[in-house]
Amino acid sequence: MAEKTFIVRIKRQQRPDEPARWEEFELRHRPHMNVITCLRDIAERPTTRDGRELTPVSYEANCLEEVCGACAMIINGQPRQACSALVDNLEKPIRIEPLTKFPLVRDLVVDRSKMFQDLKRTKAWIPIDGSYDLGPGPRMSPATQEAGYPLSRCITCGNCLEICPKVNEDTQFVGAAIVSQVRLFNMHPTGAMHAAERLDALMGPGGIADCDNAQNCVKVCPKNIPLTESLADVNGQVLRHAIKTWFHGRD
Amino acid sequence: MRSAAADSRTSFLLDKLHSLSGVIPIGAYLAEHFFENSYALVSPAKYNYVASKLETVPWRLPLEILLIWAPIAFHACYGLRIWWSGKQNATSHPWMANWMYLLQRWTGVLAFLFIGYHVWTVRFLSHGKTTYADIAQTMADARFAALYAVGVLAASFHLGNGLWNFACKWGLAVTARSQRAAGWFGALTAIAFSVAGLAILAGFRFHWTPFDSYLP
Amino acid sequence: MRQPKIIIVGGGLAGLMATISVAEAGVPVDLFSIVPVKRSHSVCAQGGINAAKNLKGEGDSTWKHFDDTIYGGDFLANQSLVKGMCEAAPAIIDLLDRMGVMFNRTPEGLLDFRRFGGTLYNRTAFAGATTGQQLLYALDEQVRRFESEDKVKKFEGWSFLSAVLDDGGVARGICAMNLKTMEIVTFPADAVIFCTGGIGAVFGRSTNSVVCTGSAQSALFQQGAYYANGEFIQVHPTAIPGEDKCRLMSESARGEGGRVWVPKQPGDSRRGKDIPEGERFYFLEEWYPKYGNLVPRDVATRAIHKVVFEMKMGLLDGPAVYLDVSHIARDVLERKLEGILEIYEKFVGVDPHEEPMKVFPAMHYTMGGLWVNTQDQATNIPGIYAAGECEYQYHGANRLGANSLVSCIYAGGIAGPAAVRYAENLEQGHESSSSSVFERERVRQQDATDGLLHQQGTENPLTIWRDLGDVMTENVTVIRYNANLKKTLTKLDELSERFKKINLQDRTQWSNQTLNFTRELGNMLVLARVVTMGALERNETRGAHYKPEFPNRDDANWLKTTKASYRNGQVELSYEPVDVSLLPLRERKYTAAK
Repeated sequence: MAEKTFIVRIKRQQRPDEPARWEEFELRHRPHMNVITCLRDIAERPTTRDGRELTPVSYEANCLEEVCGACAMIINGQPRQACSALVDNLEKPIRIEPLTKFPLVRDLVVDRSKMFQDLKRTKAWIPIDGSYDLGPGPRMSPATQEAGYPLSRCITCGNCLEICPKVNEDTQFVGAAIVSQVRLFNMHPTGAMHAAERLDALMGPGGIADCDNAQNCVKVCPKNIPLTESLADVNGQVLRHAIKTWFHGRD
Repeated sequence: MRSAAADSRTSFLLDKLHSLSGVIPIGAYLAEHFFENSYALVSPAKYNYVASKLETVPWRLPLEILLIWAPIAFHACYGLRIWWSGKQNATSHPWMANWMYLLQRWTGVLAFLFIGYHVWTVRFLSHGKTTYADIAQTMADARFAALYAVGVLAASFHLGNGLWNFACKWGLAVTARSQRAAGWFGALTAIAFSVAGLAILAGFRFHWTPFDSYLP
Repeated sequence: MRQPKIIIVGGGLAGLMATISVAEAGVPVDLFSIVPVKRSHSVCAQGGINAAKNLKGEGDSTWKHFDDTIYGGDFLANQSLVKGMCEAAPAIIDLLDRMGVMFNRTPEGLLDFRRFGGTLYNRTAFAGATTGQQLLYALDEQVRRFESEDKVKKFEGWSFLSAVLDDGGVARGICAMNLKTMEIVTFPADAVIFCTGGIGAVFGRSTNSVVCTGSAQSALFQQGAYYANGEFIQVHPTAIPGEDKCRLMSESARGEGGRVWVPKQPGDSRRGKDIPEGERFYFLEEWYPKYGNLVPRDVATRAIHKVVFEMKMGLLDGPAVYLDVSHIARDVLERKLEGILEIYEKFVGVDPHEEPMKVFPAMHYTMGGLWVNTQDQATNIPGIYAAGECEYQYHGANRLGANSLVSCIYAGGIAGPAAVRYAENLEQGHESSSSSVFERERVRQQDATDGLLHQQGTENPLTIWRDLGDVMTENVTVIRYNANLKKTLTKLDELSERFKKINLQDRTQWSNQTLNFTRELGNMLVLARVVTMGALERNETRGAHYKPEFPNRDDANWLKTTKASYRNGQVELSYEPVDVSLLPLRERKYTAAK
């Protein structure tokens, strides 16, 4: 019986300053394959369909269960996690490209440090007095927990930035993921005490005003985070904050 | 001295003002404008009566500048800036809201160009006096009728979809459910304006006065 | 006064907690991680974190937590620090709560707790079924705050190569490689804390993340650090077998009422949900009526092995049993287990709300690790500390579910201040070491790297890794026979020989992942030997270490810690006594209450 095979096309680039090129690999089909297994198969035998022997493809991956956020790439045109992209569910040939909204490092590896910088810029944390024992945290209703928990599952994969028309070189838009984190921390009883700092950060260039409601973000979020709700909610928060400080000044 | 925070607040408020200006006064004026023009569907005489009444309101020019032209100019300039800062991808990711995002930009430009033409011809070339006959004459030419139809549809869509955007961007509709409701409200608004606008155009073109029975 | 400097290698829970405690002491930290710290393996922990807060009126206490932990670990863990951990656990939960972890709540707004394996109490706080992720993020956020205040400097995308040791064998810094530019650089420090996680990759497909290779601890071991209890490897009873990895199906599924079963009729071809209640064999509930589905992991794993391989009652399509949550109300599942059920649905394509899940044991946790003392997480190399899964201190012969997160945070919180104390009390800091000490180590690493890059041969590193994983999983996980362990050592010799013939298909000097993986593979081969030799020597059954030829615990001969050391390229084993000063030994059996 002939072996079942399929084709994977990968957009590769040796270095940021070198030209990109597409390369085709033919892989043996096995049950339950995902895009990660494809890339591993290629690493084990990095020979293209036309017989050229190349270097293995560089890519980021870690947990392989869609909770670390590392393996985001564009697969058949959609930004998504490679680990949960099952070969049997994908149109063939499978096309794999790096994310385009972040500086390219090599092949499928991009540098997403912008997102971590923006988490810093928006003070996305609960400022605690210290890690010594200060007793229990504030009480929280189950309803608040149920609203906050989905937001806290953001894996910083960058899919929502990749798909957003407003995230590009001309804007500095932080993207839905970061805005949603601001909402999370402003929701927390302690975090709420410092909401103004985060809202200030989102008022300026690259802030919430850059969102123009294309609502693509929510379509590509692997964790089904209600990003468009976060955007609207934070829009309202920043607006109220701006008006309040306009009339009353800062506290 | 102005702080960086105050500067960013100003730019943020400008953005919010942009979406607000689309609703009030521009959207509100569009509603008023369509309503006044609907008198053409009653009778030419009624239309001329209402038109002349509007043409003789006190403080006409300052009011026009303050409530109509300046907001439209601001809304358009700021809108163009928004347009340039986005890189659309609706063709490769054809989701509903993404198409709306793209169409909002195109209808904005179309509506603005049309409004410019419309104001120039009907407000200035006519020295501020327009009669039923003038408009009917323009509409008799199918090319102009088509131009007006495009303008009406673009403005109606832009307003309807803009209302939805406004609800989201002002944080009025937060939950997915309320955003859907706002979307329907916007869609119904766009349909209502389109129907009314096209009916008015049809009235002028075909001397169609469906409401003439209201006359005593 | 001299300003000390601390390096922390690894940015998972333990590393981040250590970072926080050092930064809080006002000492600057360089934090090294192979991945952005927010993507560390701690995010994979699902079910929860143990602390005897006794909020359910059950009369739970930290002593009972301590007792469960020691008993669950079959008395191999040194008792003093375990007791300290259990006593500190409630305050650790409070700290995490204050940091904003979205723990599930009771109607009164207090923390909710659920039951986990190896205990009869509701002692496990949880945030949905992604507790590890939530905890890691909370610490990550605190570290980011310190980073924005310039108290912490992160080096993400750097791979640890080796420690820099001076002529007296004292740690003076580390040598690391930038994974983008492939530069090899040394960094001085007065103390180094290792928080480099587990060694799942040694077993090929495990529940661990890709970065859990154990490479760092292996490198350190080869530089003279002791490695303790290497043979104790936890195999989690319920994972989804996969082509690239085995995905964990958390114990919390059973904690919330999930049941493990197989059809009474072997080879039953009906779909799981169509098999009526009376024709199901709930073997854990039948064999362990007191603990039922919540027996410790080693017990559940062996039971599944017995059902599948000895009784031949596994499911029709491949070795697996059912883990069933389909009888639990949908809203409960959504509130408490959504994260993991989503994983099953996404990766298997079957809705676990409707149908029982097919699961099988998989390598999950490394109980053994770098040897540390019983006071402050110090290794035997002066200036080097270790915390988290990469060290051996807290779990003995078997780890209880939901104890790993608490042990990481507790140990990280001890190691940090201990390293600060050490650094402040040093008579001569790293600046006193001559630059030749650093240059010597850099050249050694550069030569090793150049050697790999220029090596000619026919072998592929991934193929060797696959072979390593296969032989380790087959012979050194659930059931261990001495004959097979000996065969494994021979196989490891063969793999080490093949390793020397690896031909790197990538010899570039930019983001060369093949090079880094190959280097790590060399280190994995050494750790595999430590694990296998430890298992071969230990002729008894204790916790996760099960030898049918020696089916009982043998306290007279084997109540001792295995200590591996590396001399002249050879692994040597020695032993030291276990601290059993607090709890007297007793037989471990879960068929009845203790």
